Amino acid sequence: MRGWVLPRSAVRLSGPFTVLVTWELAARFGLVNTLLFPPPSKACADLVVLVSSGYLSKALSASLFRVVCGFALAVTVGVSLGVAMARSRLVNDFCDPLIELLRPISPLALFPLAILWFGIGDGSKIFVIALAACFPVILNTFAGARSLDANLIRAARSLGATEFEIFTGIVLPASLPHIFTGVRLAWGIALIVIIATEMVGATVGMGYMVLEAQQTFRTERVFAGIFVIGTIGFATDLGLRRLRQWLLPWYRETDS
Amino acid sequence: MSDHPGEQLVRFDRVALTFPGSAGRHPVEVIRDLDLHVRAGEFVAIIGPSGCGKSTLLSLVAGYLTPSSGQVLFRGSPIAGPGRARMMVFQQPALFPWLTTAENVAYGLQLKANRSHGRNVKATVAALLQLVQLDGFARHYPSDLSGGMRQRLEIARALAVDPQVLLMDEPLAALDALTRRTMQREVLHIWEKTCKTILFVTHDIDEAVIMADRIVVMAPRPTFVLAIEEVRLPRPRLREDPEVGTVARRLSSLLE
Repeated sequence: MRGWVLPRSAVRLSGPFTVLVTWELAARFGLVNTLLFPPPSKACADLVVLVSSGYLSKALSASLFRVVCGFALAVTVGVSLGVAMARSRLVNDFCDPLIELLRPISPLALFPLAILWFGIGDGSKIFVIALAACFPVILNTFAGARSLDANLIRAARSLGATEFEIFTGIVLPASLPHIFTGVRLAWGIALIVIIATEMVGATVGMGYMVLEAQQTFRTERVFAGIFVIGTIGFATDLGLRRLRQWLLPWYRETDS
Repeated sequence: MSDHPGEQLVRFDRVALTFPGSAGRHPVEVIRDLDLHVRAGEFVAIIGPSGCGKSTLLSLVAGYLTPSSGQVLFRGSPIAGPGRARMMVFQQPALFPWLTTAENVAYGLQLKANRSHGRNVKATVAALLQLVQLDGFARHYPSDLSGGMRQRLEIARALAVDPQVLLMDEPLAALDALTRRTMQREVLHIWEKTCKTILFVTHDIDEAVIMADRIVVMAPRPTFVLAIEEVRLPRPRLREDPEVGTVARRLSSLLE
């Protein structure tokens, strides 16, 4: 059956490639409205303009700064709270109803309030990102710390470990795979939320750039912006997965 | 090393244990009026119907549980909690999956409580890995090891802190028949080399006869000591030996 086999990476690349070529041809031959679907080559050309003018780096650094701050806050608060809830029933009983009440609220619904509290600048966006991204970290950290095999703690205790040594040497490393899953989810959420908040109220950033382009009918810039946003998301998630392999070489994922 | 061979090391003095009933469940009486003593350097096997509380017995010696009445004494003083002198080897090895084979063995030695020993960690780890025949696997993670190897690693980790008693809770139950026979020889070899006292819970009567100096037969729950059988046969003993068969038949008629 098998004679000549395409390398897997070639097959994987052929999907996006086919879509791009079809689209380019359709636009060139007037099969689609180029105001709504500008050819990818035009978006590429605009991307070059965005890069060389420095506009992209300004927008991107503003967005990434907010994302990284909000994400860092979410991870710090999420891990601490998740561990505290797993270790103490009192903390759990106090926090759990609050979390379950807040979690279903769209973080964007709180954005108008956040603007009133923290202003139109970075503060309001960082707040909303941190709020939206902390839930998966809390819940996964909690699940990780709870699913810990009780015999691991018993073994450590017999070997002479103090409570502190059990926490740092057993509870934390055992929870790391779960924590990492939460961190990855949090990063994805942060990237989604930043664009939305920047579209609602901002004067600089990727979301603002895309919205402004739309309002001035520069659809090629809209696509260029979307492309950059997508690439950042894809590359950073790949980076996070690599980081996990490096940090947790012992962890065997059933499905990678 | 047990400095006084023949000395009474562990002693159950009229021990009873009842788990309090929680959330609508009745209290469970596990142990009723149990007397037993174990001498230093002895290999004692504990057999009995499944669910009778054999493992509970070991948990009492490990210090994970305290009796409801009576006392469990270690070298004459009541056991207050887990300690390095009494190490548990669990049926499902409770190895630290994020540590390599060598790091698992070293874990206990690197805790604050054991650092004052002044023993060379590297040399001790190497010697122990050689004892349990894992010297070629120092950098492997537990997930890369077979069932028998994990069990040997857990024994090595326990031996690292130089305990006086090894509490083995059906350590070979999860292994296939062939590995199990090899491991029986391994455990005896380790016992002879280290002169540790071993309390060995098993549900396999033949295994108990092949390995132990003394066999404690437990009654169904609430359990107590039904009978004690001294096995005076020379080692190595084989399952096929007629004398082993005679003792095993006598024990199994006790259990029926």
